[in-house]
Amino acid sequence: MADIQQVSDSSFDGDVLKADVPVLIDFWAPWCGPCRAIAPIVEELAGEYDGKLKIVKMNVDDNPQTPAQYGVRGIPNLILFKDGEVKQQIVGAVPKAHLVKAIDDVV
Amino acid sequence: MDQPSEKSIKRMRIYVEKYMQKTGTSGHPEPEVTESVILGLANNIDEVGRPLCPCNFYPDKKAEVERSREWVCACDEMKKWKYCHCLLFVTPEGTPITEHLPEDHEGRQIYGLVKDPTPGKGRELADKA
Repeated sequence: MADIQQVSDSSFDGDVLKADVPVLIDFWAPWCGPCRAIAPIVEELAGEYDGKLKIVKMNVDDNPQTPAQYGVRGIPNLILFKDGEVKQQIVGAVPKAHLVKAIDDVV
Repeated sequence: MDQPSEKSIKRMRIYVEKYMQKTGTSGHPEPEVTESVILGLANNIDEVGRPLCPCNFYPDKKAEVERSREWVCACDEMKKWKYCHCLLFVTPEGTPITEHLPEDHEGRQIYGLVKDPTPGKGRELADKA
């Protein structure tokens, strides 16, 4: 399992939009049950795609600007960025295969 | 992250238990998922006075509660379609019921077709679906 970097409204630009590799950002909240359910899958993916994909998390309770900017409503909400652009957006505690397919389409 | 009040937690535990019976739904097989959502609902009672769904992002929770009861548990999606994206009211396998959703709803795309094991129960706003 890999440690997932937490990003904030203030670090989003540098950590996500200007990253050298594609980035999967997991928008989550502390009391969100499905966020908890999907967290181990996201951690597994961070290990499996190490070097090819950067995976980060953002607590929407502490960072309201970025989720508002990207139209986040239901959480968990995972957005895949490449070269600063949104390539995929996935809502809910989806199966791992669903995430892998979305990632493989972009990475 | 402050712990919600015992009063609100107790209120939500009782509500969730009764609403499961009313709708013929189950808790998630991972108890921590259910527990987390109950705490989130209780936290929102303490924060804004209503059990707002903790599985959505709201730019302003107070404004959301004043705007509508759409995301107050049980939310409109649950009452219309028996679909709980927060995984609080699910099948015994832990999957949200998607049978009654419109085919273009994101829940259908995420989970596919999940049959309602107790179609005679719940859906008190089915006429508005």
